[in-house]
Amino acid sequence: MKIRSPPNLHYPITVVELAKKPQDDVQRSSPLFNYTYQTLVTEGNKYGEEKKVSRSLPARFDSSADGVVTQWFIKPGTVIQRPGVDLVEIEEPCTHEIQFGSLCANCGKDMTEVDYLTEERNVDRATINMTHDNVALLVSQQEAARAEEDAKKRLLGAKKLSLIVDLDQTVIHTTCERTIAEWKDDPENPNYEAVKDVQSFQLADDNVAHVAANWYYVKMRPGLKDFFDRISTMYEMHVYTMATRAYAQAVAKIIDPERKYFGDRILSRDENYTDKLKNLHRLFPTNTDMAVIIDDRADIWHYSENLVRVPVFNFFPGAGDINASFLPKQQELVTTSPRPVLPEPSTVVEDATKQGDSTTVSVAGKPAETVPAEALNGELTELEQQLISMGAGESQEVLEQQVKEQEKVIITQQIERPLLQKQRLLDQEDEAADEAEDSVAEKDDTQHSEHHKHRHSILHDDDRGLDMIEENLRRIHRAFYDEFTRKRTGAQGGRIAELRGAKSPKKRALEDYVPDVKILMPRMKQQVLEGCVVVFSGIIPLGMDVQASDFALWVKSFGADVSLNVTRSTTHVIANPDRKTTKVKQAARYPRIKIVNAEWMIQCCTVWQHVDETPYLIEVDAADRGGSPVDELEDDGISASGEDGGVDDGLSEAKQAFADMTSETWAEMGGEIEDVLAEISDIEDNEMSTSDSESVQSDVSVLTESKRGKRKRKRGNTGSLDGSEAEESDSSVNSSSKLQKRKKRTLERVTSLTNVVTADKSSGLPSPETTGPEEDQVDDEKDVDPAGLAADDSDVEGLEADLLAEFERELSEE
Amino acid sequence: MFFLKNLEKTIELHPSFFGPLIRSHIHRELLTKEEGSSTGKFTIVCILDSFEISDGQVKPGSGSADYIVHYRAIVWRPYKGEVMDGVVTSVLASGFFVDCGSLQAFVGRAMIPSEICYDANATPPQWTDNGDQVIEKGTNIRIKIKGLRSEVDKMYAIGTMKEDYLGPLQQ
Repeated sequence: MKIRSPPNLHYPITVVELAKKPQDDVQRSSPLFNYTYQTLVTEGNKYGEEKKVSRSLPARFDSSADGVVTQWFIKPGTVIQRPGVDLVEIEEPCTHEIQFGSLCANCGKDMTEVDYLTEERNVDRATINMTHDNVALLVSQQEAARAEEDAKKRLLGAKKLSLIVDLDQTVIHTTCERTIAEWKDDPENPNYEAVKDVQSFQLADDNVAHVAANWYYVKMRPGLKDFFDRISTMYEMHVYTMATRAYAQAVAKIIDPERKYFGDRILSRDENYTDKLKNLHRLFPTNTDMAVIIDDRADIWHYSENLVRVPVFNFFPGAGDINASFLPKQQELVTTSPRPVLPEPSTVVEDATKQGDSTTVSVAGKPAETVPAEALNGELTELEQQLISMGAGESQEVLEQQVKEQEKVIITQQIERPLLQKQRLLDQEDEAADEAEDSVAEKDDTQHSEHHKHRHSILHDDDRGLDMIEENLRRIHRAFYDEFTRKRTGAQGGRIAELRGAKSPKKRALEDYVPDVKILMPRMKQQVLEGCVVVFSGIIPLGMDVQASDFALWVKSFGADVSLNVTRSTTHVIANPDRKTTKVKQAARYPRIKIVNAEWMIQCCTVWQHVDETPYLIEVDAADRGGSPVDELEDDGISASGEDGGVDDGLSEAKQAFADMTSETWAEMGGEIEDVLAEISDIEDNEMSTSDSESVQSDVSVLTESKRGKRKRKRGNTGSLDGSEAEESDSSVNSSSKLQKRKKRTLERVTSLTNVVTADKSSGLPSPETTGPEEDQVDDEKDVDPAGLAADDSDVEGLEADLLAEFERELSEE
Repeated sequence: MFFLKNLEKTIELHPSFFGPLIRSHIHRELLTKEEGSSTGKFTIVCILDSFEISDGQVKPGSGSADYIVHYRAIVWRPYKGEVMDGVVTSVLASGFFVDCGSLQAFVGRAMIPSEICYDANATPPQWTDNGDQVIEKGTNIRIKIKGLRSEVDKMYAIGTMKEDYLGPLQQ
């Protein structure tokens, strides 16, 4: 250890004599050298006169460390001007690189002691925790690097990589509902086959839900044992879960009873410091080149490049992840049918569309902070880390709240027993179907069609996710070691050549040969959807940054580009099959653009292959196909159409929120709309009279007016509720069929919706029919954001140009 | 080392417990709260039967009463240099953890004799001299305390195995 001049001396100081020679032993607080310093002293003489004199006073410098003096950087007579100058090098007998509970593991000394000589606290020498199951054991940076180097050599020797395994919904699924136990004991039950291998456990120190005997039922992903058997020959596996330690250990006992796959390599929430994120550096502080992660959520890993995202294992429908209440909230995407019936039964993927993760990390429950997509490469900036740890520290009440939330989930599962209810519902359906005709039931559930006389089961034991994970892991392993051997043999050849050329052979470090998973994996993934330009429609909720949404980030990591609108370069439109958005219609006119459902994307990203689109294509009406492509697809740059498409898409996605509205809200909205519309028409009129000189505009002033009103409202609310029935926005449908559609739509709606229509009529605007077929007319009815509107009114002038462009486009269309 | 120690504890009792069985309520409360707890200096192992309960004092506002209980207990306090037996709980490349009752101790690499090496390829990983000495999870082991530090309710210890008669105990 180098001792430097401390900041608390009276500089400049002059060294007088060194007390120790090199190779001398030195004790802590024994003198190292003597020095003198200058200071002003007040001296008095015998006459009582006082005067200040500059004096040189001697002092002693004490050693702040034990050890042996190896080297002096000063000699007698040296003047030290400032703090931070090297004085002496002392070799310590122990550098306290491993500390347990602030005790040095090598010498047993207490590291927390602080005295007058302490410059740097000993506890700060070891700050890295790389132990799975203990938070008290810390090591220094050098020690961590050394340990990792050893581990790397061992792994390379055994031709293995490290694999971080998530538990909940990746390899197992857990529920607390005791219905499972009843089904398990009852061979007659239709679910018996699926639940017979479910294992259960209780946690001794479990005070969750304040129920003494809380049973957890764990279903292993089908084929888990074989999966572990095969994968453990290629990977050294670690568990990294956001569940508690007790839970993680209980589950580990179930999935790995002989402790041969994981051993003690289990990391739980209790040792993770933060319950918001998982961080690879927690286990591999200096080097993550050989670590691969499997997890069903990418956001808590900050979209790390080491991550192999796996399809969610959702065995108990509705149970979700019982430990997820501690994680950042998952944002629900617009949901499709709960269990999509897929064309190929062999590639059944759980309805992962539900599991759209939000990209926000909420810090201590405060308003969510969005992480820019660029920063999401698995590396947290120091500031972010700090923020998160701060958040974790002060968020006692947040933690309590989370615990309560978890309790609530568990209590719900225990009391309401949603699975039992669902099964009952299914049974009732079955009975009804049996009476009517069996064919209905057959369509309802293909898996059990051969004995559809029986009751149908709510649980399906048909998950094949592990096969795909295994395939991906195999490919990574192969790619890694192919590259490793190639590099090494190549390097050796080079070395021989070097020797022949009589140059001094430089020994290359092992690092040079070891490939980096962070480079290999993205390279493999980028090829999958390379060249695809994807547009989302009806998938990502309104108000969310599409480029930063989970789906977009996911598909982008596979080499595809995401654009907001249908353009010339678009190759795929990923749409919600339940709705026909403008984008779908736009794309339908071009046979080369493939309109697929989200399942296609999930398949591609799961099997890491460009899957054939045919089974996932969304049926498009012949009418839409036939529509003449008059409006050539425009590039992103053109603001009018671009914006239109973007907003419109967003609108359709609000449908979900729409359905949840109560009748009161509707009535309220109706009133608001009325007010707003009246206000607008006033403004429009004024504006019209002053600035309207263009002939085109005045010719069709009625049309423009109505249009302008609509347009403005659309701009006014990008983030909040907005609605459009996509069917309505189709300009190619003639007016009679339009009327029919309108009628149909009205019938479909809840009764209170009629209020809204009335509001529209009474607004004094010309009825849509007179202005000809027009987009977005329904917007009027559902469009409410007075606040945003008011704000928008101020820059009416700015809108003018946009409106004109829009209008002219419309004209040319017609 | 074990000691017999006189201790004092204030127990707050809810009014619903006031009655003829009040003594047994206080006793039960004392046992559940105190036995097995660690003060950071020592662990209370066992509370002896004879104890004195002071007169209760009702606290204004809440109706609960405070009872001061004087009792004797067997306490355990580890000392630096003490030799003790424990059970291995976790094995790492940098050492292993030993539970000695309420005390968790860590035996680092530097404290393990050089002939006992870490074998990461064994399942599960273990420290072994490739003979009869195997240290894995659950092994009974004898260690000597090299360093000790106490926090408010917890104690940490560093153990060593590098002396005579220390190490895994033969079953």
